Amino acid sequence: MAEEKKAPASRSAVVKKLKATKTVSVYQKEWFFAMKDRVEKEKCDFAILNADVPMEIFRAMDIPFVVNQWWAAICGAKRMTKKYFGLMQANGYRPDLNSYDAQALAESFDPDDHKVDADGNPMGPWGGLPKPTICITRLTGDAQNKIFGLLAENYGADLYTIENTQARITPLNWYELAADRWEELYDTDRIDLAVEELKELIRWLEMKTGKLFDMNKLQEVMDLINEQEGWYKKLRDLIAQCHPVPVTVVDTINAVMQAQWQRGTRWAADHAKSLYEEVKALADKGEAAVPNEKLRMMWLGRGMWQDFAFYQRFEEKYGAVFMWSMYLAMGADAYIRNNVEKDPLRALAARFIGMEDFLHMPPWNSSWFIQQAKQNDIDGVVYMIPENDMQAVEGSYFIKKVMEDAGFPLLAFHADPVNPKKWNAETMTGLVEDFIENRVIPNKEKKQQK
Amino acid sequence: MSIRDCALQSEAFAALKDVYDHRDREAARWRAAGRKVIGELGCDVPDELILAAGMLPVRICADPERPLAETDKYLEYAFDPMVRAQFEKIVDGTYYDQIDALAISNSTDVIIRVFLYLREIHRVEPEKKVPPVAFIDWLFTRHRIHQVRDEFIIGLFKQQVEAWAGRPITDEEIRAAGRICNENRQALREMARLRRGQEVRISGSEALVIIGAGLFMDRSEHTKLVRRVTADAAQWPVLAGPRVYYTGANQEDTVLYDKIEAAGMVVVGEDTDWGDRHYDRDYNLDYPVIRGIVDRYFLREFSAKKSTPAQRTEALDREVDAAGAQGVIFYTNQYDEVATWDMPKQRKSLEARGIRHITFGRMLWPVAKNEDLDEKLAGFAAQLKGGVR
Repeated sequence: MAEEKKAPASRSAVVKKLKATKTVSVYQKEWFFAMKDRVEKEKCDFAILNADVPMEIFRAMDIPFVVNQWWAAICGAKRMTKKYFGLMQANGYRPDLNSYDAQALAESFDPDDHKVDADGNPMGPWGGLPKPTICITRLTGDAQNKIFGLLAENYGADLYTIENTQARITPLNWYELAADRWEELYDTDRIDLAVEELKELIRWLEMKTGKLFDMNKLQEVMDLINEQEGWYKKLRDLIAQCHPVPVTVVDTINAVMQAQWQRGTRWAADHAKSLYEEVKALADKGEAAVPNEKLRMMWLGRGMWQDFAFYQRFEEKYGAVFMWSMYLAMGADAYIRNNVEKDPLRALAARFIGMEDFLHMPPWNSSWFIQQAKQNDIDGVVYMIPENDMQAVEGSYFIKKVMEDAGFPLLAFHADPVNPKKWNAETMTGLVEDFIENRVIPNKEKKQQK
Repeated sequence: MSIRDCALQSEAFAALKDVYDHRDREAARWRAAGRKVIGELGCDVPDELILAAGMLPVRICADPERPLAETDKYLEYAFDPMVRAQFEKIVDGTYYDQIDALAISNSTDVIIRVFLYLREIHRVEPEKKVPPVAFIDWLFTRHRIHQVRDEFIIGLFKQQVEAWAGRPITDEEIRAAGRICNENRQALREMARLRRGQEVRISGSEALVIIGAGLFMDRSEHTKLVRRVTADAAQWPVLAGPRVYYTGANQEDTVLYDKIEAAGMVVVGEDTDWGDRHYDRDYNLDYPVIRGIVDRYFLREFSAKKSTPAQRTEALDREVDAAGAQGVIFYTNQYDEVATWDMPKQRKSLEARGIRHITFGRMLWPVAKNEDLDEKLAGFAAQLKGGVR
C-alpha cells in the first residue's frame, strides 16, 4: 500500500472540549516520569506486564510496572515505529510480526534509548523505559513466550509466564454474568487453576522483591476498580441512550484506555467519575458531538492509533459518528466483579481469565457485539482485522455473519494499528464511504420504512 | 527423486510407502470392519488412549491440490497455510465421511483457533458436515500446577474417548497401548540410527515415509514393518553428501526433502512432528496411567510453538549435535512464523560452534510454489561441500 496521505482534519468540536481526555494524557506523562524517577532512585524492581496479566497484584504489592500495550501506544505516538522496525530487522527479527506487542522488545535493542540528541531532546520515547527486572506475560498466544522471553533476556530481567486455558462452557450472555454470577460463567476448574496461578505469582513476587503481599490491600484495589468501571458502565449506558451522542470514540478511547492502565488507584476512579460527569453535563445540555448525527457507527478492533482523525472523516459528509468502541464497553461489562470481599483472589481470577475470551473467542465476542449494537442503536459496523497477529484473530466470519444476520451491516478490512506503512488513509476512507453509501444508508432506510 | 530403488525394492518399505501415499485407505478398511477411527489435529493427542479404546488414530493432513473454497469463507488469511488446507477437508465433508470424531490438541495457537471455529460452526451451522470435535487443553509450561492440571485434562479426554467407544477403558488397556506405542517409538529410534552415525543408509525422505506411514495405520503393524525396513536398510548403500538438520514447518510429504537431497545433502534429523519429534520420549509404564500420558507429552523435546527462544536454542543445539549435522536448514511458511522468533539466537549459537545454516522464510505452501528453492539449496550444498566458513 502507498504511504499515508493527509486526510481532512477533525471537524468534531466536542473532541477538543473534553477535559478528561486531556487530563489523562497529562497525568500519564507525569505518572510515568514519577515512576521512572522512583525506580531509578530506589533501584527497586520494575516490571513490564502484558495487557492481560493481572496487574492488580502489582498494584497491591506496590511494585512499579508498565503495561506492554500501553507502552506500544506511547511508542507509536512518539513516532518510534519506523526506528523500531529497523532495529528489529538489524537484530535478525521480523519487524512485521506482532508489531503491536513487540514495541518494547524493539526498544530494548536501541542503544540510544536513554540518550539525548544534540538539542538535548530525549531519543527514546519519554526518555526510554527504566530497565525492567521482571517481565511477565500470559500465554494467550504462541508469540508471547517469544517476545517476553527475548525482552527478559535483553534486559537481564526475570521471565515469568502465566498459562491460559480454553473455555469449555460458553454462556452467550457473559456480559450479564460477569459482575455477579461469574461462577456460572466459567468452568470451575478454570477459576481454580487461575487462583493457584495467582498464588504462585504472589509467592514468586514475594521472593523476588522482598515485599509482602497483603490481601486487604488487594481488596482495596479491587474495590477501586469496581468504582472506576462502574462509572464507565454509567457512561456507556448514557452515551447509548443519547440521540445524538455527546462524544465520539475519539474521546472515549483515549480517556478510557489510558486510565484503564491506572486501574486500582484513587486517581483512576476519580478520573472515571469526572469523565462521566463531564459527558453527562454535555448530554444534559443536549450538545451533540456531530450536530447532524444521522448514522451511529460501531468500531470493532484495536484503536487506530496512527490515524485517529480517520474516525471523524465521515461526520460532515454523512453525519456518521463512530460512537462505540470496545474500550469503554469492555470497562462497562468485563471488569466489574462484585462481592470481592468474599475471596478477592477468586474475584481477580474471574476477571483476568476471561479478558482474551470476551474479545477474541467466538461466540463470546460476537454475542456481545450484537447486544452492544442493539443497546447503542448502531447503523453500521466497521471492523479492523489486525494483520499478522494470531492472538487477535477472532472468528471474523462468525462476527460478520451474526452481525449481519441480526441486521447490522458490517465492513471488514485488514490493517496494522501501529504501522503507518500499511495504512492508506485515502483508500480506507473510500472503502468506508462506499460502505456507508451502499450498505449503511440503504439498510437504515429499509428499517425506517418498516 | 530421493527415495532410492533399494528402498522401493524393500517389501516392507513399499508397504509403508503404499500407506503413506494412500492415507485414507487404512481408515476406510478399519471403519468397514465396524471399528472407529479418530482424526487427530495437532501433535499432542495421546494415541495411547485412542488405541486403548480399540480405535485407530489418524493424523489430519492437507491436500495441496484442493481449492480452499470453504476455508476462505471461515478462516482469516493469517492462518498457517497448511492448517488452512487441513481445515478445508474438515469442513468440506471429506473427513465427515472418513472419521468418527476429531480430537484437537492445544499444540499451537492456530489449532486452538481451528477448534474454536469448528465449535462455532457446530453451533451456528449445525447442518454442516463437520465431525464431532473434542479439545485437549494441554498446558506446556513446566510447572507442577500445570502438570497437575494436565492430568485433570487428560482425565477429561479419557472420558470423551470412552464416550466415543461406548465403554470404559481400563488401566490395563491403557498400559497395553502404552507398550504398543513405546515399541513403535523404539523401532523408529532404531531406524533413525541408520540416518546418522558414520554410515548413513536411510535418507531423510525415506525416513519421512517410514515415520509418516505410522500416522495412518495400525500401530503394531507399523512397528513390524519399521523393523523389517531397518533390517533391510542395513544393507542399503551408504549416502554421501553434507549432513544437514531440518528445523521449521512440518512437512507432510517428501517434496522439500527431495529437493534438499537432489541438491546433494543428506537430512539426518528434524524437529518436526512428522519426523523425529514424533517418537521422542516413551510412555512411562511405571506411572499411574494418566500421569504416564502427561509425562510423555508434557516433557518431550520443546516444540517451537510452546517454548522460549532460549529453550529452543538449547534444544536445537542438542538435536544438531545428536544428529551429527554439518549444517542446518531453517524453513518457515508464510503465516506459520512463530519459530522465526527463535532463529536469530539459534543461528548465533550455531555459528559459534562452526555450524553453517540457511534460512528460508515466508515460504509459500505447498513447497512446489517456491521457484528459486532449488538454486538456493544447491548454493548451500556447495558451501557445505566446500567447507568454507
